Amino acid sequence: MSSQSVRLFVVAVRHMCGHSLVRHTGRQPSSSCGPGVLLQRRAYSLDRGTAGQPQLQQARKDRTPPSSSLNHRNLSAVAVSVQCEPLCKYDFLDVGEVDENTQRAQSCRTTRRFIVDPALASLVTHHLGPDLEDSKAVLFECNPGPGVLTRTLLNAGAQRVVALESEKVFLPDLQALENRVDGQLEVVHCDLFKLDPLKKVVMKPPAMYSDKLFTDLGISEANWTDDVPAKVFSILTPSKERKQLWQLLYSLYEQNSIFRYGRVELNFFISECEYQKLTAKTGDALNYRAYVILWKLACHIELLHKEPWESFVSSSKIKLFIPKGRFSNDNMCLVRMTPRKDLFSSSLTTSNAPILFMMLKQLMVRKRNRLADMLNVWNLDSGPTIMKALGLSKKTKTGDVSPETYKLLFELLNTCPDFTQSWLYQETLESSWRGS
Amino acid sequence: MSLLRLSAFSKCLNGLTLLERSVNRLPKADHCHYCFTVRNNSGRRIAEPSWKSQKRHFSAAFPKKEDGEKRCLEQSQLLDVLEARIRQLQSDVVSDVQHSKVQFVKAPKSETGAFSGWSSNINSGKSWMPKLGKRVSKEVGQTASPETVKEYPEAPFNEDEQQRVQCYLEACVFSGDIDRASNLLLTNHQNIRQRKVLNIEAYNLMMSVWAKKGSMDPIRQLFVLVEEAGLKPNLSSYSAALECLGRTPNCDPSLINRILQQIEADGLSLDELFCHGVFRQDERDMALKAVLTIQPDFQPSIKSVMPTCSSPLVKDFYSERTDSRYPKLAFSLEELQKKFRNQLNVEQTCAITINSVEALKPLTEHVVKMRNLLTKQRRVWHKTLVGALREKKATMASTSNRLCQYPYLGLLDDKDYADIMIQSLSEMPPSGESLQVLAKNLGIRVYNKFCILRKRQNHMVDKLNRIYNEYVELVAEDNETPSVLPRERWQMLEAEHSSGPSLLGEECHWTHAVLIELGIFLVEFMIDHMKVNRGILSFSHDRKTVPVLYHMYTFRGNKQMGFIKQHPIVTQIHQDAMETTLTFDSYVMPMLCPPVPWTSTRFGAYLLTPTKLMRVGIGNKQHDILLEKCPVEELHPVLDSLTQLGNTAWRINQPLLDVIISVFNDKGCEKLGVPPPLSEAPAIPSYSHQEMATYTSGEKAHLKLEVINAKKKCAEMHSLRMDALYKLSIANHVRDEVFWFPHNMDFRGRTYPCPPYFNHLGSDVTRAILVFAEGKPLGPGGLDWLKIHLVNLTGLKKRSSLAGRLEHANAIMDLIMDSADRPLTGKRWWQDADEPWQALACCMEITNAVRSPDVTQFVSCFPVHQDGSCNGLQHYAALGRDVIGAISVNLMSCEVPQDVYSVVAQKVEDFRVRDAEKGLKIAKDLAGFINRKVVKQTVMTVVYGVTRYGGRLQIEKRLKEIDDFPEDCVWDASRYLVHQVFNSLKEMFTGTREIQDWLTESARLIAKFGNPVEWVTPLGLPVIQSYHRPRVQQLKNNLQSHLSLQICHDSKQKPDVIKQKNAFPPNFIHSLDSTHMMLTALYCYSAGLTFVSVHDCFWTHALTVDTMNKVCREQFVALHSQPILQELAKFLLQKNSSVPINDVNRKEVQEYERMLMLLSKVPQTGNFDLNQVKESMYFFS
Repeated sequence: MSSQSVRLFVVAVRHMCGHSLVRHTGRQPSSSCGPGVLLQRRAYSLDRGTAGQPQLQQARKDRTPPSSSLNHRNLSAVAVSVQCEPLCKYDFLDVGEVDENTQRAQSCRTTRRFIVDPALASLVTHHLGPDLEDSKAVLFECNPGPGVLTRTLLNAGAQRVVALESEKVFLPDLQALENRVDGQLEVVHCDLFKLDPLKKVVMKPPAMYSDKLFTDLGISEANWTDDVPAKVFSILTPSKERKQLWQLLYSLYEQNSIFRYGRVELNFFISECEYQKLTAKTGDALNYRAYVILWKLACHIELLHKEPWESFVSSSKIKLFIPKGRFSNDNMCLVRMTPRKDLFSSSLTTSNAPILFMMLKQLMVRKRNRLADMLNVWNLDSGPTIMKALGLSKKTKTGDVSPETYKLLFELLNTCPDFTQSWLYQETLESSWRGS
Repeated sequence: MSLLRLSAFSKCLNGLTLLERSVNRLPKADHCHYCFTVRNNSGRRIAEPSWKSQKRHFSAAFPKKEDGEKRCLEQSQLLDVLEARIRQLQSDVVSDVQHSKVQFVKAPKSETGAFSGWSSNINSGKSWMPKLGKRVSKEVGQTASPETVKEYPEAPFNEDEQQRVQCYLEACVFSGDIDRASNLLLTNHQNIRQRKVLNIEAYNLMMSVWAKKGSMDPIRQLFVLVEEAGLKPNLSSYSAALECLGRTPNCDPSLINRILQQIEADGLSLDELFCHGVFRQDERDMALKAVLTIQPDFQPSIKSVMPTCSSPLVKDFYSERTDSRYPKLAFSLEELQKKFRNQLNVEQTCAITINSVEALKPLTEHVVKMRNLLTKQRRVWHKTLVGALREKKATMASTSNRLCQYPYLGLLDDKDYADIMIQSLSEMPPSGESLQVLAKNLGIRVYNKFCILRKRQNHMVDKLNRIYNEYVELVAEDNETPSVLPRERWQMLEAEHSSGPSLLGEECHWTHAVLIELGIFLVEFMIDHMKVNRGILSFSHDRKTVPVLYHMYTFRGNKQMGFIKQHPIVTQIHQDAMETTLTFDSYVMPMLCPPVPWTSTRFGAYLLTPTKLMRVGIGNKQHDILLEKCPVEELHPVLDSLTQLGNTAWRINQPLLDVIISVFNDKGCEKLGVPPPLSEAPAIPSYSHQEMATYTSGEKAHLKLEVINAKKKCAEMHSLRMDALYKLSIANHVRDEVFWFPHNMDFRGRTYPCPPYFNHLGSDVTRAILVFAEGKPLGPGGLDWLKIHLVNLTGLKKRSSLAGRLEHANAIMDLIMDSADRPLTGKRWWQDADEPWQALACCMEITNAVRSPDVTQFVSCFPVHQDGSCNGLQHYAALGRDVIGAISVNLMSCEVPQDVYSVVAQKVEDFRVRDAEKGLKIAKDLAGFINRKVVKQTVMTVVYGVTRYGGRLQIEKRLKEIDDFPEDCVWDASRYLVHQVFNSLKEMFTGTREIQDWLTESARLIAKFGNPVEWVTPLGLPVIQSYHRPRVQQLKNNLQSHLSLQICHDSKQKPDVIKQKNAFPPNFIHSLDSTHMMLTALYCYSAGLTFVSVHDCFWTHALTVDTMNKVCREQFVALHSQPILQELAKFLLQKNSSVPINDVNRKEVQEYERMLMLLSKVPQTGNFDLNQVKESMYFFS
């Protein structure tokens, strides 16, 4: 834990609590320092955000008692209308008071993180863009909470936003918003990660079957090679992110759940250390795992932005646990994962993907094992030939093989008859599903 | 001394953890040694004045009545000074040692240790270890330096590690590899850091090796080493020395004399040595011979009067024996001796192969072919394994002396290892086995076999033979009525036959790590060497072989677990061959002769197979330590009752067994508890991926769920079927024999039969098969008891009086006789009973009795059961003297039996009506749904600590079983009900609730202050709850990079507060009910009754039910007349009053005071008159 991060955190906390001991001398004179700090932190952003600045200023000017906010809404709409005028079919939406939103977010009973800072919201909007108004892709926003990002997205001209909210607390407000706008927003009581549960028999929201969700929304199945039909945005909780990413991985390779409707693009805030693990390099003794290989094979992974933890409001009264590892973990990373068009081929299909999973999992438990030995364990006659064909030496260790090579290896293995007869194959048939 | 004072002082200062750690880390013995050497070596070199000044400094700094701030400041100053001083000292001493290369071989004269007297001339004679002298001197120098102490303060002083080294040494010695053993001992000894892993037993082990050879010099050197390591020689060390001298012809008597003096000086005695020492082979005689050379009239004194147990509960049992009529067995002496020989044979071979009950099925050509194939393969595997093992050992023999598996591979014959490996393969379930379990089983098998072999090698079998043959005279029918207990008889005989080896082996139990590491080695060996032809099933000419087993990982969430599976080909062969024999370890079978009586915590039950008195997890030593500390006479009642339970002879109810086997081989029957074969399992739904694509996600999920459930069901069915197969096959194997179940107990004193599969604790099926071997005439009331017992088994008429039940039985006599005559073809009335098979057996017995010419003379072997009605609550009610509670659990005499469940259900219903009137929706919804069944399980388990959470789940389950109960109300309803059940219980059992809360809170505070909860039962059995925070031990191996063992009983870990607190009330009540059972067992024994128990269900002959009932009630009253809670409070207070308290922490002090208050304030009790239990007819019924 670096001392710097501690200091930063302490400063942030002080500001949040309003016990501002240090006079803040930001570029903007400010009475409440919260956004000021956040803005400074924005320097972390990889991208020189442009949309953020005016929005932010607008939000600050807006700091008025809630009762009068309606009047002000029109004013503020005028203030930014220079930018957004042609895109808006309705009055510009007020994203609300930061304090008020914070309070509402904190009333949530499950531990979650929220975006309440308008600047952050517009930054995310920018990354989800850039052509929000033209794109046909449906935008799924998971757990919008007080709806700051939702409003910002709508303000930016998003054509179709679906808010999947798992907490009942936030629903009435979101539904009110839904009624106010003209069909650009749909609110569903649903949890993305509770879609298509295996064990539940009685289906009660937020658990749901994906086909019900998509049919209700009128979205039809698409081919894998079509354009991205939908984008999903979510902030993952560190304690659950690994499990949830695995869950998506299974759905992706089986083209199940949301991926049945095409190559859904994922935009997630994940913890920095998870990002680093997710993108571990081939040969990394600790973090290069089956999980990494499978993600790399499946998706084009792109880091859009890093944002300090403090920028988010967390619902839990206790400070949310931020895992500390060997990696620095000061930020949340906004990562875009776009499923690859060429993921499935004649050899890798949805039906044999579980075998790929099993194979990689078995291989990657001990990364210092020789690949050749492992192939021997599976009793493959053609093992050595395949190794040669791939240009791998006999001494190659399982941890030193790149994802692409693994894919090739799997495709080659699938062509030899003894692979389909080996025990590995049988094993997979027995236990391939998530949750089992 | 200065250092001691220094360390004592450092304890006063909270900040000075540094020194504290360095000093306290040392074991006690080391501690003294350390101080001693400091005084003798470094002390001399370091300028005395500096120490003195240091001391002065301390005393000046010592705060008397200063305010906290000043004190704190001074402490930190002091800390600096001390640290500086330590640094200075270190550098001084280190350089000192380096420069001067001290050479002292002889110990300093001032020393009064053991070897100063007789082993001082160590350098004379051939040196056993050439370089030792030099090294020793260096070591002595180093010990002196504080540096060595400080350098490794973190190295844990690990008992496990000690035990492991001891196991290794024992294995080396046993396999005759003495060089390896002595090498290991020396290398460990020479490394200060490693020396900690050697305990006195390790040195003793080497001494006894040399003693066998009669060479005294190495023993002397070992004594020097022991001294050097700061250990104290114990009885075994001296007996080895004496034994050695005994073997030496014409040895020097003065030497013996000096040893004897030394023994005296160490506060030990010769009597102790000969009475309590453990000897192998002729060790005892040799040692005695040595002593006799100088004290020709010496004879180890045998205590003529054994001290008896101090518990007032059993005073009568032990002192007044004139009225006692201990039961005998209906066998002649010769028969019993023959039975003993049979049992001995079985145990010596360790494994036994029996025919399974499936043998009766018809054979097909394919099956025959597969069986031949399997036999052939086994032969091939066996041969390869033996060969490979031999080679492997040859290569390992030359490897370094690091702890490797080599010694463990030399214990048995190569072919024994191969047998064990092949046995494990055929036992493996088709779905595979986790590596840890498989490895542990292999390890335990080797260990058991090794123990038996060692006993044979120690000539123990002969001695056992002699003693046993005389012992059984006690119980044989052709001798007069015994006046002594079996244990006493055995102890007398053992004292008479004192020469030769001791029967109790003080063997070192292999630790969990040792067992698993050996197991993993064997698993790896199996994977590497057992191969099968790939084309074996198709009989093709594919010559390529594949391994029979493979190692893989299964993933449970984020955890991965090593797993061993059979190759599908091998599974196929196993399945197709449908083997008709089963191979078991010998201890799985019931004993064929009366078990050896428990005479101490380490000896009893089986003849040779090692058995623990207390069944606890592997490596959990806390209970053993506690039992060892306990004076043996205090354990006598416990040992005697276990012996008595084990001495009950059993026989198979053959007609019933035949019926069950016929059902079993014909598709089974789930309703009757006979598991059907896998062929009856639901088919696993199959699907094609093309089809899948068209399904909706709901359908897909449903399909997946179905597949998973079907697989789960199959796995369950397989294990149930195998379990039943084992039980029935064992029963079938002993169908013509008389057999015994040796007993041991868990840590609370609840007793269990040792054979795991087939015993009277089992399911309805196994209970029904068993009858007493001994028959007794029914007498005047016997038939009535049989009939009542039958009605009890049906579960009907629970609330009728005995007369009512009898009447019911008489009314349905034709149904009963029909069941007995045509069990499977008649009206099958018995099949609707709660316990159908026992009911059927009872029907048969009644029918036979009725048809005999004189019912009162009809000899019945049938056990009649008497159940406590909600036994846990009975004990609570008696503890709290709750009047209402006592009535509802039948502690008071009533016309008809009371049923606590119905009473609670009624109470809950009253609450519901009240709430419904108030307009509570859920109360209205529940109208008509509250009955006995809904609340029964929760009421029953509430005494065993079920929480509201668990209670809700139980009730939820019951409500779901009701068809017309609206499903969406279940959650609310169950929450409401569990609340009301708890309320009703609280009202009925006021005292109970208070006691339960008091127990829980006491346990919580005790655990919070770092102690596990410990108590002693009224019968003197020490109990400890060994629940600690888990510690993970990593075992490195080739197969997997590591295997983690989770150890939850490490006493060095802090106690697991939640577990300690939640488990204390139920464990305490269990310790009470076990005490009650043991008392009943003992007094039934002196009344000549046959008595066995299944916890709170007591069994005896129909003739003696009344007597047993009387004894049972009397003992209950006697038990609860003791001040149980007061004694408990006293004990807890005494155990936990001296916890170290940080008096700076205010809250902690408050908590501590609260604990003392709580422990000294026992809950108030009600007004129930306990003596009424004696009149209560339905107390146990």
